[in-house]
Amino acid sequence: MRPIFRIFFILTTIISSSSFVCAAEKIYTIAVIPKGTTHEFWKSINAGAVKAQRDLGEKGIKVEIIWKGPLREDDRDQQIQVVENFMTRRVSGIVLAPLDSQALVKPVNNAIQAKVPVVIMDSGLKTDKYVSFVATDNFKGGQLAGEQMGKILNGKGNVILLRYAVGSNSTEDREAGFLDALKKFPGLKIISQDQHAGATRELAYAASQNLLQRYGREVDGIFVPCEPPTIAMTKALRDIGRAGGKVKVIGFDAGSQEVADLKNGDVQALIVQNPVKMGYLGVETLVKHLRGEKVEKRIDTGVFVVTKENMDSPEIKELLNPPLDKYLK
Amino acid sequence: MALPKQTRLGTLFNFVGPFLGLLLVIGLFSLSAEVRRYFLAGGNFKIILTQTVIVAIGALGMTMIIVSGGIDLSVGSVVALTSVVGATLLTKDYSPFSAALLMIFSGGLIGLINGVLISAARMTPFIVTLGMMGIARGSAKWLSKSQTVNPPENPLNNIMATSEPMNFLPLPNGVWIAIGMALLLAIILRKTVFGRYIFAMGGNEMAARYSGVRVSLYKIFVYAFAGIFFGIAGLMQLSRLTQGDPSGANGLELDIIAAVVIGGASLSGGSGSILGSMLGALIMAVLRNGSSQMGWPTYIQEIIIGAVIILAVGLDKWRQRRAGA
Repeated sequence: MRPIFRIFFILTTIISSSSFVCAAEKIYTIAVIPKGTTHEFWKSINAGAVKAQRDLGEKGIKVEIIWKGPLREDDRDQQIQVVENFMTRRVSGIVLAPLDSQALVKPVNNAIQAKVPVVIMDSGLKTDKYVSFVATDNFKGGQLAGEQMGKILNGKGNVILLRYAVGSNSTEDREAGFLDALKKFPGLKIISQDQHAGATRELAYAASQNLLQRYGREVDGIFVPCEPPTIAMTKALRDIGRAGGKVKVIGFDAGSQEVADLKNGDVQALIVQNPVKMGYLGVETLVKHLRGEKVEKRIDTGVFVVTKENMDSPEIKELLNPPLDKYLK
Repeated sequence: MALPKQTRLGTLFNFVGPFLGLLLVIGLFSLSAEVRRYFLAGGNFKIILTQTVIVAIGALGMTMIIVSGGIDLSVGSVVALTSVVGATLLTKDYSPFSAALLMIFSGGLIGLINGVLISAARMTPFIVTLGMMGIARGSAKWLSKSQTVNPPENPLNNIMATSEPMNFLPLPNGVWIAIGMALLLAIILRKTVFGRYIFAMGGNEMAARYSGVRVSLYKIFVYAFAGIFFGIAGLMQLSRLTQGDPSGANGLELDIIAAVVIGGASLSGGSGSILGSMLGALIMAVLRNGSSQMGWPTYIQEIIIGAVIILAVGLDKWRQRRAGA
């Protein structure tokens, strides 16, 4: 029996050292649930949530943030468990980036039924019972890319749209927005728009090579709707010696490799989201709702066109290199 | 062979050990007054039980396999594949009943293939099921074109649906199904010839063979029968996600093996119990739930579950040494 006591002792030590301290004032406990915890994008969202906590704290509103992703990244069942566990934990509210627009519907509705309000961020959910949907307007992001493409090519040339993956809501909106904006430029001819890059960088690299094999000589501009294929396409263009502005590339998001490619001229523009603002507004909106204020059902967190020219301006600089250290230990 | 008296004591420990473990974990999370209010609530235990169902049903099949001296690494992939099979059938207008039956059948079929390869071709279970892990995962992605399959709203979705989040009752049907199957399998393992043969095979395969047990035939039975449980676990997964997810249940087999091992089974075969495995599955679910309630980050949770697995196996070894002395 002795080992059992030993386990008991070890676990007691762990638990007692990290228990919550009870407080007398009203504290809003907010669970923020990302899709995963390791990507830069989610770290920025975490930083935004902490920033909101601090700003609200200065106004005298005490907020506690519990940041917790699914145990295995990109595992829907694990994310459902996290939502359920916070529901029974009776947190004041949940800010959730759902891994899937359908699988998370039931647990979210359950939480709302248990009077735990939910704000959805980043990706949509097929229900309308949530408090608010705080996310990038991806269609608008795609439109900005299309307009930028028209500008760079002076309204004339052959354009390729390399799509991301079938069934990915956010990127499909960007692709649709891009095609919509191109309608304004009759001189731009779309020579390929039915190829999908696939979810990983390797798949995207192979798809880019195949595409350039066929259209590499005639293409003038390429739009890729998210980070992995942007990096892959740029690399494939360098391989065949058409990078550095011979073919204009417009990508999405601001991974460190993409920013480096923008700096050295292989990428002409990046459409950049604002994850820090997303985390910030997610928490702020939920707290407003909890305090009985009225909030918008859909909140746009903004998209920006970043080019070599404007990338050194202070506000764009903060977008490209969010001050994570300031908010995350 | 141990003396009867010691065996009885060992059985008692096997029986009590996991129970103590579960009570311990529950007790520990109840130490903090702040968390206790939410943690020790009926609604929370409903959630914990619901979260245990898939691992528990998988652990039923896995207990049989591990007791027989084998292992199955393909469970997570099989659960994903059967959930995709079910979702695909539902989108093709099969009735929910026949879709469910075909899911369970396909689970059993994969188990049968595993069993035949292991038994007739005399291949190591580790390798065969490692291969099947890839085959089943790949087939799931092929069948679904690497996307989630979203069937229309159907009665299968209600098996795992929780209602009235604040109360313990009603429990979702999935929980009752898991309890029923656990009782059934416990009786089969304890009271039937088939059940005793499984223990005999796992304890000492040669001895079992010389005593006239048709080991190769029963091995095939074990894997096929376990496959049926994995198919049912796939059904629960489909119901819980309300979709077939080809990349889901990744690494589920490790959770299941951990549950069985925490429950007192030995990976060298011949020992293990259904009750133990069920408690093992519950311990892991409680740890997860409790960690969330405490507001611990995900990595602490992973470390704790890992440590608990090692502690449980260490305890098992210590027990074996005591029994051997």
